[in-house]
Amino acid sequence: MPKTARYKNRIELLQGTLDMLILRTLQWRPQHGYGIGQGIGAGSHEVLRVESGSLYPALHRLERQGWIVSEWGLSENKQRAKFYRLTAAGRKHLVSEESRWEEFVKAVKAVMKPAVEEQ
Amino acid sequence: MKFWALFRRRKQRDHDLDEEIRAHLAMAIRERIDQGEDPAEAEANARREFGNTTLVKEVTREMWGFAWLETLLQDLRYGLRQLRRNPGFTAVAVLTLSLGIGANTAIFSVVDGVLLAPLPYPRPNRLVAVWETLPRSKHIDAISYPNFRDWQREAGSFQRMSAFGDSDYELTSPGMPKHIWGYEISPGFFATLGVRLTLGREFTPQEDQYGGAPAVIISNRMWRNRFAGSPEALGKVLELNGVARTIVGVTPPEFRLSERQDVYTPLGQRNPVFLNPRGSHDDMVSVARLKPGVSIAQAQAEMDAIQQHLDQLYPETDRGLGAEVVPLKHQIVGNVGGTLLLLLGAVGLVLLIACANVANLLLARAAARSREFAIRSALGANRARVVRQLLTESVILSVAGGGLGLAAAAWGVRPMLAAVPGTLPRSYDIRLNVPVLLFAFGVAVTVGILFGLAPALKSSKFDLQETLKEGGRTASSGHHHAQSSLVIFQMALTLVLLVGAGLLFRTIRHLWETNPGFDTQHIVTFKVGLSPSAARTGASTRAAYQQLLGRIRMIPGVEAADLTYILPLTGDNNTAPFWIDSQKPSVPQAAPRMMVFDTGPDYLRVMKIPLLRGRFFTPEDTAKSPCVAAIDSVFARTYFPDKDPLGQTLTFGWTPPLGPCWIVGVVGHVRHWGLGAPGAYTRAQSYYPLYQIPDRYWSVGQLESMSILIRTPLDAAVLIPEVKKAVYGAGRRQTVYAVQTMEQVAAESMASQRFPMMLLGVFAGLALLLASVGIYGVISYSVAQRVHEIGIRMALGAQKRDVFRIVIGQGLRLALAGVAIGVAAALVLTRVLSSFSHLLYGVRASDPLTFVAVSLVLAGVAVLACYIPARRAAKVDPMAALRHE
Repeated sequence: MPKTARYKNRIELLQGTLDMLILRTLQWRPQHGYGIGQGIGAGSHEVLRVESGSLYPALHRLERQGWIVSEWGLSENKQRAKFYRLTAAGRKHLVSEESRWEEFVKAVKAVMKPAVEEQ
Repeated sequence: MKFWALFRRRKQRDHDLDEEIRAHLAMAIRERIDQGEDPAEAEANARREFGNTTLVKEVTREMWGFAWLETLLQDLRYGLRQLRRNPGFTAVAVLTLSLGIGANTAIFSVVDGVLLAPLPYPRPNRLVAVWETLPRSKHIDAISYPNFRDWQREAGSFQRMSAFGDSDYELTSPGMPKHIWGYEISPGFFATLGVRLTLGREFTPQEDQYGGAPAVIISNRMWRNRFAGSPEALGKVLELNGVARTIVGVTPPEFRLSERQDVYTPLGQRNPVFLNPRGSHDDMVSVARLKPGVSIAQAQAEMDAIQQHLDQLYPETDRGLGAEVVPLKHQIVGNVGGTLLLLLGAVGLVLLIACANVANLLLARAAARSREFAIRSALGANRARVVRQLLTESVILSVAGGGLGLAAAAWGVRPMLAAVPGTLPRSYDIRLNVPVLLFAFGVAVTVGILFGLAPALKSSKFDLQETLKEGGRTASSGHHHAQSSLVIFQMALTLVLLVGAGLLFRTIRHLWETNPGFDTQHIVTFKVGLSPSAARTGASTRAAYQQLLGRIRMIPGVEAADLTYILPLTGDNNTAPFWIDSQKPSVPQAAPRMMVFDTGPDYLRVMKIPLLRGRFFTPEDTAKSPCVAAIDSVFARTYFPDKDPLGQTLTFGWTPPLGPCWIVGVVGHVRHWGLGAPGAYTRAQSYYPLYQIPDRYWSVGQLESMSILIRTPLDAAVLIPEVKKAVYGAGRRQTVYAVQTMEQVAAESMASQRFPMMLLGVFAGLALLLASVGIYGVISYSVAQRVHEIGIRMALGAQKRDVFRIVIGQGLRLALAGVAIGVAAALVLTRVLSSFSHLLYGVRASDPLTFVAVSLVLAGVAVLACYIPARRAAKVDPMAALRHE
């Protein structure tokens, strides 16, 4: 059943990581909150499921920090929705966050790798 | 304004967020329906997946940065509600705090107005006074006019320099004759201070000479009262001391060098006999404004050089003389600073005691509220949040108390100042200005955090399980310890204040019992302003006074009456250098000094000063008979230790000297410099017959301070109308003023001790009241908590009186602990008190009688305060108590 699969695969997302994922999702075009959540879920093949209790605070915080801006528009269903879009500063921030993430992953891999080799 | 915009923006954002979430849910539901779910089920599932909408909104809102404001408003609302629900507690706490904060604000406003606030002139820290100093001599407000003129001419450090001196006048026209006060000023006086006259101009150098045009500058108050504030007042005439003076200027309304001066006349028009001789130091003070960039130290260095030069040029009069430059505030404020700061410290102690009371109240309430906190903690409030909320409550209390106290201080400062003895300098500068308001607010907030912190920390730390299980029973032995400590603290502080007040009280008692050297009872004194026609020449003035005395002596009830130039116990200065026989010293500074009393022949009889040897003056001692004088016992002991003073001669004064006069009598010593003054003042005294003073000194303007003394069993209120009749009978334009009894003069001389004693006494009384309420509260509370235990004791055989004793014993133990600590602290602090040595007299700072008496009083009051709770404990019904949870 799709629901239980989602629950079982829920992984806690660190705040900084969530920010990065949101910025990434907004890289190509503006999107509303619901769409961003869906986007991250789809992009991760349903492994990452963002709780709205994390998503909306993150969106508002990112807006306050100036990485994204919001404006009201019409959704696909012709309903009023708040769309978020990346700012120039946000783009730059995304790039730097991405490189930091890469380094982080490399480091973790390096520590884990010797154990794998021993096996 | 900004708040409102903030508020509206907040509302808009709330609205947007609602809509955003609604949109999200709508989209989620739509997608589920599209995937084939039932609409109702889709909605339910979508909502469930979204989670707690309220929680999400709340967490999101925190991102907006209004969080602190939100929680603050929340805390405020909650706190106010809590306080409203307990009106008794709130009222007591707020009243206690208002007492403490109000008293502190009142005293601080005095300290601020007198000590801290800058003088009300432009760039006041550039204003200085220049004093003449003699080695080993206390400073007096007198300088040599020729020296002053030389300073004025030569000192380059000052932009301007001028001088002024006290003076009083008979105002005979326009209007009813009245005695008024004023200053004699040099030209440029107002310019030196930076004061712009409302109308007219300053005096010119031509007017500033003896015989110069009779000009006068009047105060704004007089201008409005007598001349209706009209610009035509310039050129009108005032008759002062028989001289018709033309008004040439009006001072601005805010100019108030002191409360009572109404007119200003040129200093240079003073009697040249007193003004011109370089050796004559007339009553005046010099003020100057420093040039920009010049420091006081630099000015002092220059003045030192100038005065040294003068000392060399005029060794006869100036040798050994120095000049000192001090900030003008120093000159005006004098020595009162130490006492004021002492009072500020004392009233601070009262505030601490009040805070301890409120803290105890809070602890008691916190124990009762522990369930509430436990539940809040269980619901997710973290400790910091609870503490913050409790602190908000205490700050609300203290700010409310502060507001009430501020109102009380605003209303009560002036009456308080009027009620205390003596007058403070700059008392017109005392008002509730911004520094005072900030002080009140700052103290309120600090105090709120101070007394709220301990109870808040205590309340927020607890064992959750325990508290919720116990169903409201308070364990709180920790609370009890805190409360006991606070009570001990209160008792200690109260003891310190009581000791201070007690020591000052004993000082006053000692002063009262000190024999001043004459009988202060039944003497009335006053001054007369002679009519201008009577006071035209020296001879006519003398005759007028003699005639007046004759009429006064005929009033029934007057036992004796006479004139004197100086009233004893007032500290008025009239010292002169002197020498005995022909041992004239080379310079006046080398001569010993004595205090000179110029009196009429009946003076001894009026004052009941004992005549020890020889005789006093008689009416036969006139200007035509040989010059005579009398000396006091101290003089005789000091300068004639083994010789008979009678028959020796005394010459005094310098330019020119008076004498040699034959010493005809020795009289008892009189305390002149206040009853308890230390010995830095001149103690040798001598008497000189008024009627032997040469005519040229009898000019109007010098004898304004001549007093008439009357010994009479009658009450002053009965006597004075008769006196006025006699005075007006002699001349209708004469005035009677400065009426006092000698006892009042004696009391005034102790003003500098009575003022702090009264206030310290009030503070000690307040402290005692607060502390007894405090101990009553804590013991009552403890009894209420221990009802169960008392029931058990009674069931096991304790009698009523045993229980009574236990409770009293508990209170007594707290009181004694407080007394012990208080005594230790007081011993240290009274050492500080005695360093203001002019305050204590006749009693040591560690006076055992005071300490013991005060300790007994405090312990007694504490026991009394425990009486009611003890009785309540004794009345406990053991059966009911055992059943009580």
